[in-house]
Amino acid sequence: MTETIVRAIEGGPINTWVLSTYWLWPLLEILHFIGLSLLLGSMLVVDLRLAGYLRQIDIKSTHRLVPWAAAGFTMNLISGVLFFFGDPARYSINIGFQIKMILVLLAGLNVLVFSWKINPHLDKWDPHGDSTMLAKSVAWVSLITWSGVLLLGRLIPYIGTG
Amino acid sequence: MPVFQWLESTALAIWVGESLWGYPIMLGTHAVGLAIVVGIFVMLDLRMLGVIRGISFHAFLSLFRLAWIGFLFNAISGSALFTSQASTFVESTPFLIKISAVLAGVILGVIIQQRVRLRVADWDSDDANIESSATFLAIASLICWIGAIIAGRLIAYL
Repeated sequence: MTETIVRAIEGGPINTWVLSTYWLWPLLEILHFIGLSLLLGSMLVVDLRLAGYLRQIDIKSTHRLVPWAAAGFTMNLISGVLFFFGDPARYSINIGFQIKMILVLLAGLNVLVFSWKINPHLDKWDPHGDSTMLAKSVAWVSLITWSGVLLLGRLIPYIGTG
Repeated sequence: MPVFQWLESTALAIWVGESLWGYPIMLGTHAVGLAIVVGIFVMLDLRMLGVIRGISFHAFLSLFRLAWIGFLFNAISGSALFTSQASTFVESTPFLIKISAVLAGVILGVIIQQRVRLRVADWDSDDANIESSATFLAIASLICWIGAIIAGRLIAYL
């Protein structure tokens, strides 16, 4: 499957554009780092509160940060797709990249659990109270998966490139 | 300079530069710490600028410790990474810009933290009026952290 994807991308217009524009790669890296700060920074606050810590913070108010996490994720999705289009052969076979993508997927499913099972009931919670077991699990899954995404992303150049 | 060459010959520098895991561990830690310290300060700066609303300044009081823990991660991992190529880094313009931006960001962070502690009741009140000097601090802080990221990424290219 990876070979088909690589063959479809290599030599295509986006691949050529990414590779031939000399300032694009560093620019994408800068955007990817700013995006990860927005995503991880805001999720850290949201998740730690959801996990039952920082109780002096109103739990509903932490969700004002979610649009910023979403903005960070969008920045990183776009820059990340362009990285992949720039060097599909290297990324697709890299074990660090593959696990990173699985973790992104898990983190996404975790967001769905949050929005279906927890968010609708949040209005009824004590704004400064403890969380349910399910909410705590969702918070920890989020913290662990996003930290894993960040670590594996940084390690892509160093592991599993063969 | 000899002091930087000496740094490169220390056991720490050799572990970071030559062992299988030294460099990736330090680089990984540096990225996590970056997300924590820059993430939290950017959120606070945007809150001070009125771009983010609905979360109290009181809430941020408990986040400062976390932000400084993130910074501590980066001071330690950054120093370790520095030793491995000290004499190259001290001659790299983007590195020097980055370090200056980080230093300014930290000083601004301390000032902002004190200002928030002092003004939290007023800023969280219904007729909150954030003074222009605080707006200036927030903008300067944003510029420092974003600037540090830009310059940091460019170390590998320039």
